Amino acid sequence: MASHYEAPIREPLVTGEKSYHDVTVDIAAPVEGRANKLWWIAFSIALVAFLWGIGCIIYTVSTGIGVWGLNKTIGWAWDITNFVWWVGIGHAGTLISAVLLLFRQKWRMAVNRSAEAMTIFSVVQAGLFPIIHMGRPWLAYWVLPIPNQFGSLWVNFNSPLLWDVFAISTYLSVSLVFWWTGLLPDFAMLRDRAVKPFQKKIYSLLSFGWTGRAKDWQRFEEVSLVLAGLATPLVLSVHTIVSFDFATSVVAGWHSTIYPPYFVAGAIFSGFAMVLTLLIIMRKVSNLEAYITRVHIEYMNKVILLTGGVVSVAYITEFFIAWYSGTNYEDYTYLSIGAATGPYWWAFWALIICNFIVPQTLWVKKLRRNFTWSFIVSIIINIGMWFERFDIIVINLSKGHLPSSWSMFSPTFVDVGIYLGTIGFFFVLFLLYARTFPVIAQAEIKTILKSSGERYKRMRDVEGKSIAGAAADPRTSNYSGTNTNSSDQATK
Amino acid sequence: MASNRKYWSSVEELKPNSSIADTLKQNEFVEEIPTAEFLGNEEALGASSTSRRDFLKYVGFTTAAASLAACEGPVTKSIPYVVQPENIIPGVANYYATTIANGFDFSSILIKTREGRPIMVEHNKEAKINGSPNARVYASVLDLYDSLRVQGPKANGEYTSWDELDTQVVAALNSAKASGKQIALLTQTYASPSTKKLIAEFSQKFANVKHIQYDAISEDAALDAFESTYGQRALADYDFSKAEVIVSFAADFLGDWQGGGYDAGYAKGRIPTQGKMSRHIQFESNMSLTGANADKRVPLTPSELKIALAKFYGYLNGRSVTGSLPAHIDEAVKAAATQVARAGRNAVVVTGISDVNAQKVVLAINKTISSVVMDAEKPKLTRQGNVKALNQLVADMNAGQVGVLVTSNVNPLYTMANAAEFEAGLAKVDLSVAFSLKEDETASKTTYVAAAPHYLESWGDVEMKKGMYSLMQPTIRPLFNTRQFQDAILKWTGSSLNYHDYIKQTWETSILGLDSWNQALHDGVYESSLSVGETEQADAVAVETPQVEAEAAVVSVADAVRALAGTTPAEGMELTFYSKISMGDGQQANNPWLQELPDPLTRNTWDNYLTISMADAERLDFENYIEDNGGLNGSYAKVTVGDVTLDKVPVLIQPGQAKNTVGLSFGYGKKLGLKTPMQTGVNAYALYQGFDLTQQVKIEKVSGIHEFASVQMKSTMDGRGDILRETSLEIFNTKDSEHWNPQPVVSVNHAEVPADDATLWSTFDSSIGHHFNLSIDLNACTGCGACVIACHAENNVPVVGKSEVRKYRDMHWLRIDRYYSSEETFEGDMDMVEAAPNSISTYHKLEHPSENPQVAFQPVMCQHCNHAPCETVCPVAATSHGRQGQNQMVYNRCVGTRYCANNCPYKVRRFNWFRYNENDEFDFHMNDDLGRMVLNPDVVVRSRGVMEKCSMCIQMTQKTILDAKRDGRPIKDGEFKTACSAACSSGAMVFGDVNDKESEVVKQKASNRMYHLLGFKGTRPNVFYHTKIRNTEEV
Repeated sequence: MASHYEAPIREPLVTGEKSYHDVTVDIAAPVEGRANKLWWIAFSIALVAFLWGIGCIIYTVSTGIGVWGLNKTIGWAWDITNFVWWVGIGHAGTLISAVLLLFRQKWRMAVNRSAEAMTIFSVVQAGLFPIIHMGRPWLAYWVLPIPNQFGSLWVNFNSPLLWDVFAISTYLSVSLVFWWTGLLPDFAMLRDRAVKPFQKKIYSLLSFGWTGRAKDWQRFEEVSLVLAGLATPLVLSVHTIVSFDFATSVVAGWHSTIYPPYFVAGAIFSGFAMVLTLLIIMRKVSNLEAYITRVHIEYMNKVILLTGGVVSVAYITEFFIAWYSGTNYEDYTYLSIGAATGPYWWAFWALIICNFIVPQTLWVKKLRRNFTWSFIVSIIINIGMWFERFDIIVINLSKGHLPSSWSMFSPTFVDVGIYLGTIGFFFVLFLLYARTFPVIAQAEIKTILKSSGERYKRMRDVEGKSIAGAAADPRTSNYSGTNTNSSDQATK
Repeated sequence: MASNRKYWSSVEELKPNSSIADTLKQNEFVEEIPTAEFLGNEEALGASSTSRRDFLKYVGFTTAAASLAACEGPVTKSIPYVVQPENIIPGVANYYATTIANGFDFSSILIKTREGRPIMVEHNKEAKINGSPNARVYASVLDLYDSLRVQGPKANGEYTSWDELDTQVVAALNSAKASGKQIALLTQTYASPSTKKLIAEFSQKFANVKHIQYDAISEDAALDAFESTYGQRALADYDFSKAEVIVSFAADFLGDWQGGGYDAGYAKGRIPTQGKMSRHIQFESNMSLTGANADKRVPLTPSELKIALAKFYGYLNGRSVTGSLPAHIDEAVKAAATQVARAGRNAVVVTGISDVNAQKVVLAINKTISSVVMDAEKPKLTRQGNVKALNQLVADMNAGQVGVLVTSNVNPLYTMANAAEFEAGLAKVDLSVAFSLKEDETASKTTYVAAAPHYLESWGDVEMKKGMYSLMQPTIRPLFNTRQFQDAILKWTGSSLNYHDYIKQTWETSILGLDSWNQALHDGVYESSLSVGETEQADAVAVETPQVEAEAAVVSVADAVRALAGTTPAEGMELTFYSKISMGDGQQANNPWLQELPDPLTRNTWDNYLTISMADAERLDFENYIEDNGGLNGSYAKVTVGDVTLDKVPVLIQPGQAKNTVGLSFGYGKKLGLKTPMQTGVNAYALYQGFDLTQQVKIEKVSGIHEFASVQMKSTMDGRGDILRETSLEIFNTKDSEHWNPQPVVSVNHAEVPADDATLWSTFDSSIGHHFNLSIDLNACTGCGACVIACHAENNVPVVGKSEVRKYRDMHWLRIDRYYSSEETFEGDMDMVEAAPNSISTYHKLEHPSENPQVAFQPVMCQHCNHAPCETVCPVAATSHGRQGQNQMVYNRCVGTRYCANNCPYKVRRFNWFRYNENDEFDFHMNDDLGRMVLNPDVVVRSRGVMEKCSMCIQMTQKTILDAKRDGRPIKDGEFKTACSAACSSGAMVFGDVNDKESEVVKQKASNRMYHLLGFKGTRPNVFYHTKIRNTEEV
C-alpha cells in the first residue's frame, strides 16, 4: 500500500538494514578486533612467499640476470610480463575512485577503498620489476633526470622506458594522495573510537587532524573532485605509456597502433577481475556481506564484460591485421596461426580461453550474479591476462625477423620465485591493510544508507505508527547494543 | 779508509762550544712554545667552544674516518719498466712475421704484440701461399697462454732439469748406437729444410736413426698417388681462382683437405665478373663446408663415390666403366664430365677419398685435361706423414727393437686407432721422450716429457711449397722452461749452435743465395729457386725415368679405375670422418675460443656427434627435438667399427647427409691436458682404422638424451627470401636487378619512393669526416669462421661455456647464420610461399629443411644502422650514434634494461648475464692470469649487467686516423680495417670510408647486387650485403 510510486529498478546498495552506527561498528570491527586463525595462516603464507621472493631478488642482484631464463633473443620475459600484469591490475582502483566518482556511481563506495589499496600495492609490485630487471640495478637512479657529475649527460627522452618511469611514479603518487584523502574521515573515526593510547596516537597522526567540521567536509569534497579530475586522464595515460614500450618498437607483433586503447581496456579488465577476487573473499572474511552485495558483483561483471569485449575485438583485429599485412615477417606474431600451432600453442590457447571465451559466460545474468562463478571467472581472467603479456613479450620476441636468431624461453626457479614473491608481498600488504585500515569508505557509505525506504515501510506496516525520527531512535535499529556514543555522531 | 765526514746544518755547529748549537740540540723548537700562556689563560679556555660533547664527536668522526680510510681499494699489481726495452713503446703495437707449423696448420702470419705480449694473429700480405690463416690459426695465440702447458722437463710426473734429461737421453742414444737398436724420431710434418738437414746430421752421428713423420689425419693416399705419378712425396697445389669448373669428389677443400688454404682462390672465382663465375659440383656423403658452397651437390655413399669417380673418368675419356650407380647420380656424373670436358684446361677435379687409386685417377684426369688449376711442378710439402713407416715403427717397438723414441708434437696414443698397440710397444722402448706442449695421452706415458715451446716462442722454417719458404721467429721470451725439439737434437748431436744460428746457417748457405737474411726474417716469407741439397737429389732421381713412369702411369690409372669401379657396395652404414674448422685434428682442444666456435653447418659448439640423414634417423629411431628452453636434444648411438665400439655418440640429424651414411668429426674426446669443460665429445680416432676416412659401421640406438649446445634453433629461412637474397647466374646476367634484387619502397603521399628517402627524423650531415661502411659479398663468403675468431681476439669477447651456449647466451659479436632451403632450392621455397601464402601447410613445410638442401651463409654483426632502433629505446642513452656512422655502445653508462637487444631486428646485441672474467663458474682463459695476457689492452673487458656488441673495431679506425694525423697525410683506401675484414681471406668483407669516393667500399656499394639486410625496416644500416649468385647452369 505504497503511498507513492517507487522505482523497482534499483536494488539497495547496502543491505541488512544498517544504521549509521552499524556501519561504523562493522567497519571498525576488523581493526579493533583480534585477527582470526585464517588471517594468520594467510599472512604466514604470504610472508613466506615474500621472503622467498626477497631471497631470489638478492640472488639475482648479487649473481647476475643470468640466473633467470632469458637469452640473447628473449631479453625480457617474466620480469616485464609481471610488470605489465601488476600495472594492469593497478588500473581498477583509479577507475573506480575517479571515473566512477565523476559519473556519480554510488556503488563504487563499497569497493573503492579496497580497489585503491589494491592499486597502490600492485603498483608497488610493478615498480619493483623495472628496477630488478636491470643488469645493474644499483644504477637505477640514472633513469631519473637528475643533475649529475657526468657533465651534460642526460636521460634519453625518446625512450618509452623513461616515459614509464614518469607515468608509473605519477600514477603511484596521485593514487596514493587520492586514497589517503578518502581515508582521512575514516581514520578520524578510528581515532575517535580507539581506546589504547598508542592506537589513538597513530590514527590521529594518520588522520591529519581531521575534526569533522563542515569546512573539513567541504574541502574534502572539493579535493576529491579535483583529484578525480586529475586521476581520470591517468587511467588512460599509464597503460597507454606502458603499451608504448611495445608499440613504438620495431618488433613484429609489438609494433601495433591499437596497443594503447587495447592495453587500457585490458588493464581495466584485469583490474576489475582482481578487485572481484579480493572482494569476494573479503566480504566473507571481514563480514562485509551487507556492503559488498550481489549488485556490486554484477556491476563489476558488467564492466568486465565491456572491457573484455574491447580486448576481444583487439585480439581479432591483431589476428586479422597480421594476416592481412601479407608479409611473412608477421607469420609468428602472438596472435597468428604460427603462434597457435607453434611451440607456444599452450600460451596462445590459454590467452584465448581465459580472456576471450570464459568471460562470455557473464552475458548470462544468473552467472554474473553468482558469487562462486564470478570468483572463478575473475581468477581465470587474471591468469589469462598474465598470459596475454607473456604471449606479447615472449612469443613475439622468440620469433623475430631473422629465423637464425629464434629461440625459446623457459623460466628458472628464480623467475618463478620472484613472481611468487611479489604475490606474497602484495598479500602481506593487503592483509595488513585489511587489519589496520577502514576497508570500506564508511563515511561515504553513510551517505547512501537511506537510499532504500524498505525498512521504514515495513515498520509502518507492522507497527502502524509514525516513523518520524526513526533513524535517531536506537529502538528502531536492528542493532541491539547500547553503545551509541558521541564519536559516531561526530564522524557523521 | 773510513770516511770521517761530518755533516752540519748551520754555521753555528762548526763553532766549538757554541751555545746556540747546544740549545738547539736540546730543544726541538727554536722558539719557546707558549703552552703555559695558553693553558694559564683560564678565561679564554672556558670561553672556547670545544665542549666535551664536541670532543667526543671529533673522536667519533676521526675513528670512523680512519677505519674507513683503512679499507683498501683493490690492488692491481703492475710493474713499470726499470729500463725501457728498445722497440717497445707502451701503447704501440709491434708486428712480427712468423709462421705456424704445428703439423696440421701451416700458415705465414703476422703477429701483433703489445708491450711484448703477442695478442693477435694477422694476415701476412707478403705471403703468396698459405698467407690466409684459418680460424684455428687465429685462435692459436691463445694456446700460448694455456695454463695447462708443461712448464719444464718432467720425468715420472716430477719436474726435472734439462741437464738431467740430456745426460740420460745421450746415454740412451749412445747405448742404442752400441747395441744396434733403433733410434726413432716420431714427429709431426715439419716441412722444414733445416730440420731435415739437422735430422740427417743426427742420423749420421747415431746411425740407425729413423725419422717417421706422422699426420694425425693422414693424407697418405694422396701422397702415395702423387709420389707414384710425379716421383715426389708431396701434394699437388691448386689455384681455384683459375677454375671455371670444379668437380670435387668429397674433397673438402674449403675445410682441411690436403692442408686447406684454398678458400681465398676459390672465392675469387665465385664472384661474378663480366657475367662469369666458376661452376662447382660436389659429390660427397657428409655435408661439408665445401659441399654447402657448391652450385650443385650430390649426396652419395662412400662406395658409390668411388664408382662415381671411376664412371666420371670413363665418361670423360669416352671409355665404358663397369659398376652401377643410381640413375640420378649417374646422370649427375655424366653432366659433370660433360662440363669438365667442355671447360677443358680450365676445369679441375679433386678428391678427398683416402684411396690411392682415387687419388691417382684424379691426378691423371687433371693431367689429361692439362688443368691450369693444378700445380704439380711446385707441389705442397706440408703433409709428409707415412703410414707404412709408422706401422713399421709400431711393429719394431713391439719387437723390442727400438732403443730410444723421441716424439715431437704428436700424440699417437690419442690419435691412433691402434693406440693400445703403440702403448704396448712404448713400454718396450728403453727410453722415450715426448716433446709436447701438454702432458697429453702420449706424454704421460713416456719416460720424459720435454716441455716444448709454443710456435710463438720458437724458431723454425717451413718450405710450404717447393721453393716457397716461410720463417718462424719467437715473438715473446719463452714463458716457461721449455726447449724446442730441434734445439735438443742439436744439443744431443753435440753441436754448439742453437737452432736460430743453425737455421740462419742453412738459409745462408743453401736457400737465400745473395739475398738478405734479415729481409727474409722481416717478411717472414721467401721465394727461392734454390733448394736444399737432398731435395734436389730426390728430384734428380725422379726426372731420370720420365718416359717409363708415364707409361706405367697409364697402365696403373686403368687399373685404378677398374679397382674403383669394382668397389662393392657396402652392407649397412658407412661412416666418413671429417675434421671441423674449429677443432681440426684436436691438438687445440684446450682452446675455449675454438670450442665455442659454432660449426658452420650444424651451428653446434662444444661437441662432436654422429651426423645422420633424416631418413636413417627415422629408420633407426633416432630423434632430435627442441626442449622447452630452445635447447636441442638428441639420442645416443652405439657406433661399432670392426671390434671397436664407441658407446654413447650423440646423434645429430644433418640435412644433406647421404642416406646410409654417417659422419663423425675428429678432434674431440681428449681427456688429458684439458680443463674439465673442454673434455667434450667422443674420440673418433679410435675408429680411424687403417687411416681410412671411410669405414663400415654398425649403429644402434642406446638410451639417454644428449644436450647439444647449438647457437641456431631454426635452420631454414622460413620463406623470408628477402633476408639472404640469391638468384641464379642466368637471371643475374639476363634480367634487370629490380627483378632479382628489388630495393624496398614505401608509399609517401601516395607515391612509391625508396625506403631510405622516407624518414621522420632530421638527419645530420654525414658527408663530413669519415663515414664507415662494411660490404659483405655473400658469393665470396664460404662460412669459414675465421672472422668470428679474429673478432673474439680483437675485442676480448668472453667465452661462456657449453651450458650457457645451450641457453642461447653466446657472446659472439659476429655470427655466421646458416640457412637450409626447405625445398630442393631456395627458389623453390619462394615459389611455395607465392603459391600458397599464409597457409598452415606452407608454414609447416617451410619450417623443415629439405633432404638435400641448398645452403647459404650470412655473416651478421651489428649493422650500425643510421636510424638505429636500439638508440631510441635506451632510457639512459647508453647507445648512441657516432659521427663516423658507428652505433656506439657506452658500457659505463649501460644500466642493462636489454630493451635495445629486444628492439634490434638483427639480434646482434649481447648481454653480460654474468661476470665472465675472474669467475670460477667460467673457468676459461679470462679466469687465470696467464690466459688474460691475450686480452687486447685497447678494448675494455665488460662487466656484468651491461650490453655489448660489435663496435666496428672503433679502436682500429681511430688508430688509423690518429696515425695519419700525426704523419700529416691523408688516409689511403685500404688502411681502414676491422678485425673481421682483415681476417677475411676470401675478400668477402670490404671495409672503408664511403666519404672517400675512390674507395673500394664505394664501388661495392654501387653494385647492383647490393642490398641492406631488412632494408624495408628503414634502419639504414652501414653494413650491406651482395646478393648471392648461384651458377645453376646445367649442360
